Amino acid sequence: MFEGAEFYFNVDHGYLEGLVRGCKASLLTQQDYINLVQCETLEDVKIHLQTTDYGNFLANQTNPLTVSKIDTEMRKKLCREFEYFRNHSLEPLSTFFTYMTCGYMIDNVILLMNGALQKKSVKEILVKCHPLGRFTEMEAVNIAETPSDLFNAVLVETPLAPFFQDCMSENTLDELNIELLRNKLYKSYLEAFYKFCKNHGDVTAEIMCPILEFEADRRAFIITLNSFGTELSKDDRETLYPTCGKLYPEGLRLLAQAEDFEQMKRVADHYGVYKPLFEAVGDGSGGKTLEDVFYEREVQMNVLAFNRQFHYGVFYAYTKLKEQEMRNIVWIAECISQRHRTKINSYIPIL
Amino acid sequence: MPIGDWATCEEASSRPQWRGPMAARDLRAQVDSLLLQLLRDLEELEAKRAALNARVEEGWLSLSKARYAMGAKSVGPLQYASRMEPQVCVYTSEAQDGLQKFWVMRASVQTPEEVGPREAALRRRKGHTRTPEPESSPAPRDPLNWFGILVPHSLRHAQTSFREGLQLAADMASLQIRIDWGRSQLRGLQEKLKQLEPESS
Repeated sequence: MFEGAEFYFNVDHGYLEGLVRGCKASLLTQQDYINLVQCETLEDVKIHLQTTDYGNFLANQTNPLTVSKIDTEMRKKLCREFEYFRNHSLEPLSTFFTYMTCGYMIDNVILLMNGALQKKSVKEILVKCHPLGRFTEMEAVNIAETPSDLFNAVLVETPLAPFFQDCMSENTLDELNIELLRNKLYKSYLEAFYKFCKNHGDVTAEIMCPILEFEADRRAFIITLNSFGTELSKDDRETLYPTCGKLYPEGLRLLAQAEDFEQMKRVADHYGVYKPLFEAVGDGSGGKTLEDVFYEREVQMNVLAFNRQFHYGVFYAYTKLKEQEMRNIVWIAECISQRHRTKINSYIPIL
Repeated sequence: MPIGDWATCEEASSRPQWRGPMAARDLRAQVDSLLLQLLRDLEELEAKRAALNARVEEGWLSLSKARYAMGAKSVGPLQYASRMEPQVCVYTSEAQDGLQKFWVMRASVQTPEEVGPREAALRRRKGHTRTPEPESSPAPRDPLNWFGILVPHSLRHAQTSFREGLQLAADMASLQIRIDWGRSQLRGLQEKLKQLEPESS
């Protein structure tokens, strides 16, 4: 790929890069978070959010206001911005955006299948699906009995089709198999996204590849942590690890053999990037969890992405930062509505 | 002879009984011990209530933490069916002093830990005759699996908190019944005491 994005990037993508930088400037600041933390009720939260870039996004909500409604409206707002970017984009940025939505599509497919297991109606679940992951064949997902069924009948026309390589089997979709399907799909998706960024080269690869490597390693660690004490075997676990990260191949092999948190920590100690992260994890219910530490690192990397120009990483970083902001607001709102304020400051400030 | 040393005809309902001056003292001792027991029960009830509140708060906060890690829509009403089989049931039994006690037990356990005459009472309360086959129903699934197999530890923590809360709730209900019974006993004894010694109120 011809290096030198600064010569031609702005021709096709300059407008959108300017727009996304403007959107990034409207993320909530530390002062906004301090105001939110001092709210007593969810109505106060709504009033405070009106003074930010969110504006009157909750104006049409009927009483009583719940945390779930706030979350849904925030997602809709992010989706509107994203769709605007996407509709005005040209190749290869459009493909980049499609890759970004695949993650949400996988989540929606799994939500629909789990709903089918619990005998929920499709309409009920469609309302709660992530708007960024919407695709036309969504309503038909719940009729599939096996992964091959799912692929052949429903998903063969969607962008998720190429990720089904390792997932084709005739096993019926029960809870364990749905979990395995989710993780295998995500693994294929992440590896494909990584390859796309790497092949694109230029500043995009310099920014996106470390971010995606971190995402792959983080998934490996979290899958390992959550699999302790479950019926998932070590071999099965190893097939779920994405291979586009720093841990591949030796780290993943060691991780597959880990049986508790201490062993996992020893694997992480071999890698300079992950050793300080694991050391920041508090023990028991007092300090930070591993997920918190990983979210903090993700926010760091995403904020740094804005220091370079002429690359697609700003769009990915903005979406992820906006998601972290939504997680923060939902956490603060839950602490307020449960009147349990001891941990209310556990959000991750972004700007 | 003081009047109080004789039970009246209405009280004795047949023939007058001789009640000595010790009667009031015994009665007062009874009242004292009953009061002490009542206060002990109340203290235990308060402690259990505080513990239950703490468990329930912990449970809800752990659920919020799980939502933070998994996504806000992944831990919610979408994940459970509208009709579900209970994993844990409340059984009642009668203790020796006639008071009801509440037991919280897994629904799949066919025989409760109590053996003896109470077993028949419990079987009756279950409402249908138990068939002797052990594999009549599949093993109840862990509700944790509604949210996936690889769930974060905060969700497991929430499950433990709520399970502990259940046991506390049953204990609190039994204690409440004991306290109510104790109070009515106390009132009865105080009435008798007043009748025995009308001048010393």
